[in-house]
Amino acid sequence: MLIKLAWRNIWRNKKRSIITITAIVIAVFLAICMRSLQLGMYDNMIQNIVGSYSGHIQIHSSGYWEEQTIDNAFLYNDSLIEKIENNKEVDHTTKRIQSGCLSSYKDLSKFVFVNGIEPEKEQLMTDWNKRLLEGELLSTNTNSVNIGKGIAEYYDLKVGDTLIFIGQGYHGMQAVGAFPVSGVLDMKNPNLNNVSVFMSLPTAQDFLSANGLMTHLVINKKEYSDEKSIVSALSENFNDEYEIMTWQEMMPEIEQVIQADSAGGLVMIFILYMIITFGIFGTVLMMTQERKYEFGVVVSIGMKKLKLMISMVYETIFLTSTGVLLGVVLSRPLVLYFYNNPLEFPADQAEMMENQGFEAVIPFMSSYDIPITHGLIIFFISLIICIYPIITIYKLNPVKAMKR
Amino acid sequence: MKKFQLIILLFSCLTANSQTALEIIEKADNKMRGSSSYSEMSITIVRPKWQKTMTMKNWSLGNDYAVSLVTSPAKEKGSVFLKRKNEVWNYLPSLERTIKLPPSMMNQSFMGTDLTNDDLVKQSSMVVDYTHKIISEENIQGLNCWKLELIPNEEATVVWGKLIVWIDKVDFMQIKVEFYDEDQEIVNLMEGHSFKKFGDKKLPSIIEFIPLEDEGNKTIIEYNSWEFDKEIPSNYFTTQYVSRLK
Repeated sequence: MLIKLAWRNIWRNKKRSIITITAIVIAVFLAICMRSLQLGMYDNMIQNIVGSYSGHIQIHSSGYWEEQTIDNAFLYNDSLIEKIENNKEVDHTTKRIQSGCLSSYKDLSKFVFVNGIEPEKEQLMTDWNKRLLEGELLSTNTNSVNIGKGIAEYYDLKVGDTLIFIGQGYHGMQAVGAFPVSGVLDMKNPNLNNVSVFMSLPTAQDFLSANGLMTHLVINKKEYSDEKSIVSALSENFNDEYEIMTWQEMMPEIEQVIQADSAGGLVMIFILYMIITFGIFGTVLMMTQERKYEFGVVVSIGMKKLKLMISMVYETIFLTSTGVLLGVVLSRPLVLYFYNNPLEFPADQAEMMENQGFEAVIPFMSSYDIPITHGLIIFFISLIICIYPIITIYKLNPVKAMKR
Repeated sequence: MKKFQLIILLFSCLTANSQTALEIIEKADNKMRGSSSYSEMSITIVRPKWQKTMTMKNWSLGNDYAVSLVTSPAKEKGSVFLKRKNEVWNYLPSLERTIKLPPSMMNQSFMGTDLTNDDLVKQSSMVVDYTHKIISEENIQGLNCWKLELIPNEEATVVWGKLIVWIDKVDFMQIKVEFYDEDQEIVNLMEGHSFKKFGDKKLPSIIEFIPLEDEGNKTIIEYNSWEFDKEIPSNYFTTQYVSRLK
């Protein structure tokens, strides 16, 4: 009965209802777009560096992170890898060996990091075909290297040219070798592009005189699982020989940038919410004042104030849920469009972004978390605002209210 | 007049003293080198968690020319270090290429040891770059030694603040050297022991080089044979010949 009454009340004054709904729609729409943009940017950043490169969790031999030299490498241990892969939240693991060394081509030389990788397993983390600009990707048996495009540009190298590497191998051995370049990669990160050289794991181990050794065991978690819980589950199995680190520990700078930027974003969202709150409050206030006479009439003909209040709450719920739903539905195509066609920066700004180590595109985040969170927030704001008409009804003096 | 005599006497004493200090160093230095030398040695790098041994053959001619050929481990076999005056060249057989070490690499470790590339080049500087003074006489390893203090000359390109050197009185062997930095803190220690006769020269066959900052690190050089004043063809010391050394 009350629901029916509320429903009819809404349609009694269409213009008033539409104003309220519009205010909510705009609020939801803006909040969702802003947050999708921001979170999409972070997600892209994390995906570029963490998801596709460093992995969510890494295991090293103890002390490696402090002193990243090849001498801190550790031996394969199948039972260890098995233990990790048995964890339900772990998707897969991959072995890597890394060491810094000098590269040289013709008269130029440059410091690079040689990475020995398992190409097939790395493919599970990210699609390397998308990175390949020229030539072909590594496979387990190739005795060639793939290099970042920054290195190729520095040396003005083409696929098929031979690069020379000189460095220090395991336990003081000389690491010297000449390898043909079989592919040029775009790592989607300028820093990585400038220092990354990839070899297949056996080739790199041979080059570094480190047979059977690795420096990193990279663990990729399943989507939406928590790296911290994996770490705590795994660390029970391990002794002091190894260190387990999440990407947040390894790259606190990324998290800090995100946190700082996110805090700024939250302030913006807060301001937006304030404006929205007063916008909605304004329409509700107007509406309540307008209907004071009507309230006076229904109360004086015997309607219980409580029932009137409940019907007000129903009205608000109808209005806001319509508004929120409409807002979500309207924002969805936009978010999906920019998710598939990321925003690109103009050329001059793009260069600046890339120098800072970020990719100059912003894809939106398409996760449903955002519309749900922000839809709910606005829904609750409306419910809180509806306290005002309730108080008005509570204090209502029918005689005074009906005086025109 | 008496005063004047005293000054003369003092002065002559001083000069006589510093003369001997220089002589001692020169004699010790010449003894190590000879006009030419050939040696076979093994170098052991000791680190807290591992150690590695490599063997080398060395030829030297006077102060300015020296060449070292790595004979083991297998992976590094055939690498050559050639010193020509102040330049160091490195031949890498896997690349079939000779590289001149740039100045920036001179302060880096020589083949992972505790010695720097610079240490190899600057062998002769103990005589030229320092002012020498005998500070006392001490008995080390049962040998009667002079203890000398070497202060670098102002214009010398030397990284050390001072050196303290022990040289034995009978055979002029450098038995111990302490390396101090600019703040007069001791940084490195070099000690020789297991004295042997190489030809007619008595020399320490094992030399240990210990960086005191890194606990558990040291480099041990052991001479298996050492010949002096041998005829060595001068083309041994050219960049063209490095790939053919045996």
